[in-house]
Amino acid sequence: MADLPNNNTQHHRRRKSTAGKRLSEIMQNDYVRLHQKAENGAFVVWIAIVVPAELFSGFENVVYAVPESHAAMSAGKGVGPLQCEKAENNGYSPDLCSYARIDLGTSFDGGKDSPTFGLPKPHLLISDNNNCSLLVKWFDVYHREWGIPHFILDVPFCYETQKEEDLHYILSQYQDIIKTIESMSGQKFDYYRFIEAVQNSHEALSHWKRFLSAAAHKPSGITVFDSFVQMAPFLTSRGTKELAEHYRLLADETLENVSRGIFPVPNEKYRLLWDNIAPWHQLNKMSAHLAELNTNIVAASYTYCMGSIEGEIDLYNYDGIDPLRYLARTQNFSVCPHGLELRFQSMKKSIASMEIDGVIFASNRSCKVYSLMQMDLLKRTTDNLGVPAVMIDIDHADARKYTEENVFLRVEALLELIDAKRNALARAHRNEG
Amino acid sequence: MNAFDEIKALRKDISKTIGCFPLYPPLELFHSMGFTPFVFWDLRHFINSFNTADKHLQAYACSVSRRLVEFICSTSDDIIDVFFMYNACDTLRNLPEIINCCLQGKVNKPRIFKMHIPMAPEEQTKTNNYLSGRITALIRELEKSFGVAFSPERFRQSIALYRKMRLLNEKLEKMVAQDIISYNLFSLITQKGLFAKIENHIEELESIAAHLSSSLKNEFDFPSASVIISGILTPPAALIDALENYKIRIVGNDIATQRRSYAYTPGDTGDPCLYYRNFYRHHFPCPTLLYTGDQRLAAIKNLIYNTRARGFIFIGEKFCEYEYFEIPYLEKKLREMGVFTLHLEISADDDSGANYMTRLEAFAELLKS
Repeated sequence: MADLPNNNTQHHRRRKSTAGKRLSEIMQNDYVRLHQKAENGAFVVWIAIVVPAELFSGFENVVYAVPESHAAMSAGKGVGPLQCEKAENNGYSPDLCSYARIDLGTSFDGGKDSPTFGLPKPHLLISDNNNCSLLVKWFDVYHREWGIPHFILDVPFCYETQKEEDLHYILSQYQDIIKTIESMSGQKFDYYRFIEAVQNSHEALSHWKRFLSAAAHKPSGITVFDSFVQMAPFLTSRGTKELAEHYRLLADETLENVSRGIFPVPNEKYRLLWDNIAPWHQLNKMSAHLAELNTNIVAASYTYCMGSIEGEIDLYNYDGIDPLRYLARTQNFSVCPHGLELRFQSMKKSIASMEIDGVIFASNRSCKVYSLMQMDLLKRTTDNLGVPAVMIDIDHADARKYTEENVFLRVEALLELIDAKRNALARAHRNEG
Repeated sequence: MNAFDEIKALRKDISKTIGCFPLYPPLELFHSMGFTPFVFWDLRHFINSFNTADKHLQAYACSVSRRLVEFICSTSDDIIDVFFMYNACDTLRNLPEIINCCLQGKVNKPRIFKMHIPMAPEEQTKTNNYLSGRITALIRELEKSFGVAFSPERFRQSIALYRKMRLLNEKLEKMVAQDIISYNLFSLITQKGLFAKIENHIEELESIAAHLSSSLKNEFDFPSASVIISGILTPPAALIDALENYKIRIVGNDIATQRRSYAYTPGDTGDPCLYYRNFYRHHFPCPTLLYTGDQRLAAIKNLIYNTRARGFIFIGEKFCEYEYFEIPYLEKKLREMGVFTLHLEISADDDSGANYMTRLEAFAELLKS
């Protein structure tokens, strides 16, 4: 039987960290700056999250917005269902990705009810089809409704290590993106500004990996919820010095806390791994509930993929020589473009290095590309690695499709499985002795 | 006879089979290299339970993928030598590895060949070289794995066969529009064609065409209550029966296994790279071919113009996100043209039509008014 809730955990009493406060400032500044620059005539690009935003730093007056990130923020602020309904009322199916529905709902309603007053209208849309190909369809809606050009970054799906011919194909499209923006905005691409942006991103990612490494400590120096929320500026501030500095301070502060014995779940009894996008509407409730069970989700495939290549969890190093090639090589950094074998490979590494007791596969109705191989991944995790695992039902941004009772029934069942495994091991040890 | 039996029966006479998904694989190439290609799509007539698939796919995957996994993984017979798949939607791209998991432990496990078809619009990115590289690599892989050889001459012959098949399908589509054959019969024939040897399929199409050609009129009598149907799957037979009972004529289709598949064959050539560059570039628009998005409305308008259809029915497949994103815009544009539209959603267990018959009846009344 899993432990009864422990009401004495320090979790509830944790105040917002310095990094947490800085994160709020960065996000606020990013959106304010975006709106201001757009208003002052900047060329605005809307991008999918894995489109390499460092490219835009090569232009003097190009800004970018990330509808997926804005949708996640909207869900976190509790307006997900409201915006989803607006899209549904315009004929978009409730079975569509909730990020897309939030974004469409927000845009159709002129940014009303958005925590950031929506996004400034774009001059160019750039989607890709490797993270999830429905993004192309989603951006096509604006392309048709508003008559805005749509660039489709076509990236071959990654069943195995990226092939050289695929890398060259991606590189040729980066050149096309640069040419497209040059011709549409009348601005010239500055290679040196771009190089600096890539260096900043790489530095930021190296600190990100240091931050995540705090999870290896027992008890863990972080919860997955810390890493979920701290991902946000990587999407909105990619390529900036501010991002590199923020992640440096975040890592320093976190590791310092570990050395001082400050932990988010001090009585950590169960260390779990999360597989899927975060349920943005549940972060506070879920983390509090788990802490009461002395349970910490210490890592997630969603966050350890940042800065790595397919099948890995360690930082992929930038050689400082060819920034375009580095971006093309890491074009598949997100977990969604990875096939089952590669995802299992990196998951196995994370389970070993973080000493994971159990895995939560969050089956996410809004993200088929992330979810539709989880049944086989779960089987492999339990059968091949002997690690207990459960599947729960979530939706990353539509709170209407989430039932806390059902989720925690499964989570508690997982904790019981972990206990049973530990007891069996202890018995085996005693018998050996 | 179901699809398994049909393929099993064919297996006695043919040496190499290739199971393809999704819908627009390089069939001519496979055929020219001595394979018999089958297209695993629209398996509704054969698969009605998901016992195996449910162990590998969540229930919110579309019925196409669930049936495909069930079909491939629930047979113990070695009916397929190799699978071929290319990139389509977010669900289908996961299937090769899921199928691989299903087939674990099988003695003669078929190999799975995967290919990326470029999805960038030509005016944006030059994709010809990349696609040529993939076609060349595929040919080499087939040659190496199966001891076969590519022949430009045989490739030309295969193109001719597939062109003939596509033209015959167009002829039958006209017969449906003129009420000479029923749409359900036509669907049955096109569906059977996915699992048949091309030569046998042509024979069947020719026999029907020859038998009924005399009834085909050059001048089209545009019926007043007429519709075009659209979707990734053919509609359930019950839906078509109902339309026919309401005296609504299906004068055209935008169905993935039908018009989208047979509308275009490139010119004769012995060069497969050139052929497939044309084939994919000029393919009839389909939501799965991302670069065709801008042409879809024009293609549909053209269909409506040619057939003078008064109504357009979207047969939405439950959980098909690609179709879902396009339908609201298309509906809006068609309504602006004065075309009546109806959007029905069909899920895995909806064959009886109980969920949509009332709406269909109301739509029929509207068309006849």
